[in-house]
Amino acid sequence: MRNFFTIFCKELRGFFLSPFGWVVLTLVTIMQGWSMSGAMKALQDAPIPESLVYIVFHMPQFWFYFLVIFPLITMRLFSEEERVGTLETLLTAPVQTWQLVFGKYFATLGFYVILWIPAFIQFQLFSILTDVPAPFSSGSLFGAFLLIFLMGSLFIAIGCLASSLTSSQIIAGVVTTGLLFIHYFLGYLTVIYSDRFAAAPVIRYIASNEHLRYFSKGLIDSRAIVYYLTAAAFFLFLTHHVINRRRWRS
Amino acid sequence: MIKVENLTKRFGRHTAVANATFEVGKGEVVGFLGPNGAGKTTTIRMLTGFLPPSSGAASVDGFDVFRKSIDARRRIGYLPESVPLYRDMRVREYLKFRGQIKGLQGERLRMRMEEVVERCGLQGVRRKMIKTLSKGFRQRVGLADALIHDPPLLVLDEPTNGLDPNQIRSIRNLIKQLGENHTILLSTHILSEVEMICDKIIIIDGGRIMASDTPSNLVNQMRAAGKITVELKADPEKVRAALSQLAHIKKVTNEKSSEGWEHFSVLVQSGTDARERISSLCQENRWPLRSLYRHDSTLEDVFVELTRKD
Repeated sequence: MRNFFTIFCKELRGFFLSPFGWVVLTLVTIMQGWSMSGAMKALQDAPIPESLVYIVFHMPQFWFYFLVIFPLITMRLFSEEERVGTLETLLTAPVQTWQLVFGKYFATLGFYVILWIPAFIQFQLFSILTDVPAPFSSGSLFGAFLLIFLMGSLFIAIGCLASSLTSSQIIAGVVTTGLLFIHYFLGYLTVIYSDRFAAAPVIRYIASNEHLRYFSKGLIDSRAIVYYLTAAAFFLFLTHHVINRRRWRS
Repeated sequence: MIKVENLTKRFGRHTAVANATFEVGKGEVVGFLGPNGAGKTTTIRMLTGFLPPSSGAASVDGFDVFRKSIDARRRIGYLPESVPLYRDMRVREYLKFRGQIKGLQGERLRMRMEEVVERCGLQGVRRKMIKTLSKGFRQRVGLADALIHDPPLLVLDEPTNGLDPNQIRSIRNLIKQLGENHTILLSTHILSEVEMICDKIIIIDGGRIMASDTPSNLVNQMRAAGKITVELKADPEKVRAALSQLAHIKKVTNEKSSEGWEHFSVLVQSGTDARERISSLCQENRWPLRSLYRHDSTLEDVFVELTRKD
């Protein structure tokens, strides 16, 4: 457990000790602010039955920047260690592979959570600055952020797997982006073809865009929670085995 | 300390290490010699638990490196060949991280850090970024990392690779000092290094252990191909015929002649010395003899003899 904590701290600090982490944080904050101001403008222009939270997370730019976060923060995790050779010093120290995988995964998840603090503050600022009661319920805010966290836990696990498969950051990043876009567009199959094909229930089950619609209305669906957490566990399990297999094959 | 039995590693069809068996006793400083690509690094990686063996077994201090990997790793300080370090960390920070990951904390961690920093001569660069350090200092940082948890066994993979002569000397002296209270397995292809530092030598080639003995024993065994150089003034044909008839002579070659002096090189059988007989032969025939010299075989001869491909 101590090893896990040591690696967790080192990785989380690593995000803030290099310019890289700050660049990502700035980028995401700007995009969140853009979504927010866009959503407020939309509310101003025409009456909309949905809440501010719902509109912010349904701005066209949301998925665009959201899906780019993951390759950026996960691509280095294992591929860089492999390329530099530090994986050898790590795995010949008395560290178990799961401690390494969990340490890196949770540190990245921690950084990801920090990335969403600016957005949270923006929502709080609304009522403080405008003197108008915030046009959203706390339930919808909680639901949206819960889903952001759940999606993050799965997508970071996917990034970990991609990063463990190669010693090139670029390839890891491209694979992660590819997998996330496929996952995202699968969710749109039911929108395009409606429910007229056999796999439609499965697609609905994993459709992130649909989950986001429920959750940002404050409807918390336990099926989605189970889906994201088990899928994340599965990808971490694969990552663990890929790294161990590396020791078998070299 | 190290016990290796029939250790084999195959990568697909290629066998990198074949049936290696050797032992390293407590407190020994052992040189692990071999040409490039002989299987040194693969063997070391199996010992440190980074690669599992295809078959056979190895143990460190009684702990199987595969089944009790974590216990075995606690007892090994390992410096890989390429000295991988985190470039963006400061020396102190790196050593602290490595110490923590190897199970040190609090006061003990602080003391060990101070000790290895002093031992490896890192006082001046403690606060520097690793990426700004020279190769020699990086090597020292790697060595400090290997030492930080005070392991009884040090495994060093070509620690003087790519350093300048002064740096090589200081690293060598450091290893010599460490050898006083550590067991060391030192992989290298630099022979003088081994002669200076090691109590015992293991020679590996093509994945096979070719020899495992003390340096002086190895050299003595190799006297087999002892060589004598003779310089005298006489008809080369006559000399060759006369020399060839002496006992224990394997081969006589006339190498060159200058100003009437003929140079011969004579190969003799193991454990024999033909110098006396050659000199009396010259006296009998009244051949003027200018030099008679026996080449002692060196570790280099042993190495070449055991590992050359032709």
